[in-house]
Amino acid sequence: MSRWRLFESPDLDPGLNMGLDEALLESDAPPTLRLYGWSPDTLSLGYFQRFADVPATRRASRVVRRITGGGAIHHDAGELTFALTCAAHEPPYDTSIPESYARVHGAVIEALAAVGVDAKLRDEDALASERTATGMCFHASTPLDIVWLARKGVGSAQRRRAGRVLHHGSIKVHASELEEGVASFAVAGSTATRGQVGAALVSAFERLLDARFESAEPSPELLAEARERGARYLAKDFVRRR
Amino acid sequence: MRPDDRRYLPSHEWAKLDDETVLVGITDFAVKELSSGNEGDLVYCDMPEVGRLVAQGETFGEIESVKAVADLNCPVAGEIIEINAEIEEHLEVLSQDPWRKGWLIRVKPESTSLDHLLDAEAYEALLEKSEH
Repeated sequence: MSRWRLFESPDLDPGLNMGLDEALLESDAPPTLRLYGWSPDTLSLGYFQRFADVPATRRASRVVRRITGGGAIHHDAGELTFALTCAAHEPPYDTSIPESYARVHGAVIEALAAVGVDAKLRDEDALASERTATGMCFHASTPLDIVWLARKGVGSAQRRRAGRVLHHGSIKVHASELEEGVASFAVAGSTATRGQVGAALVSAFERLLDARFESAEPSPELLAEARERGARYLAKDFVRRR
Repeated sequence: MRPDDRRYLPSHEWAKLDDETVLVGITDFAVKELSSGNEGDLVYCDMPEVGRLVAQGETFGEIESVKAVADLNCPVAGEIIEINAEIEEHLEVLSQDPWRKGWLIRVKPESTSLDHLLDAEAYEALLEKSEH
């Protein structure tokens, strides 16, 4: 049985959130799962997105750019972000990239079922949450994305660097006005909270990875590094680099 | 069997001597990993500036597919003297011909020795190991 660290954060400053994930990716830190929220509400752009291609940037309190790819996400009180960071040769990433998604998404679907949300992979289904020209992650999809009631409900993206993986996931608990038409727990008839789905995620990852997750806090050194790295995520030249 | 006229990094970049320069690209395995066999899944590639000096193993660019952003690492130290400008606009070339038309950068190397890299047989063995 392997051991993972579990960092559960309250709603954190967006720069610190991104700095922590990058610091964990860049180090040889033990496998770590972060579960976190954001304050204030923040729109995160995918690494390669053009700022001008995402109209919602004008409506969010803050805008950051992630180092993971994909589309933009609105992180507000109705959203739970998770970040898995470990070496690429360790489970669940000791396989092809598509298979690693299938593994992680299998666990997420199991966690959602535990809180009353009957989710599945999109496969070839047509979705009611698709929108054009918004640049939003939840308005576009691939067959491996997680959906319920024909709406995308989980966003997912990986960054691979120097033999390590950062896997970002975003779960829509409540609807956001910046992501019209996407899934929420309410449309599935679930009243579960972010905390409840977070706990279910930990249990599902423990089963997937045959691992024990131990709650921990980032060390002062890690926090200092995260603050230093985090500053650039809010800097105009990075946020508007494209 | 992958081409034996070049050498490989475990991170799936290849390096091929071309006169006194070295051409660098990514392997068919890397392309397949990133694109799941669907050439439309590759979406962006950031290339470096010509004239940049790179160390062996240093990241010189980044590539994004629908599902992952990955670094592009340089197998040799030297100066980047040319980039394949076609790639940024036509990423499908990487799927269609990763070994020739899909080269990414041309480097004027500090040394023309590629002995520090994997040969085709060792690279194949690495892939075989990772697939089992």
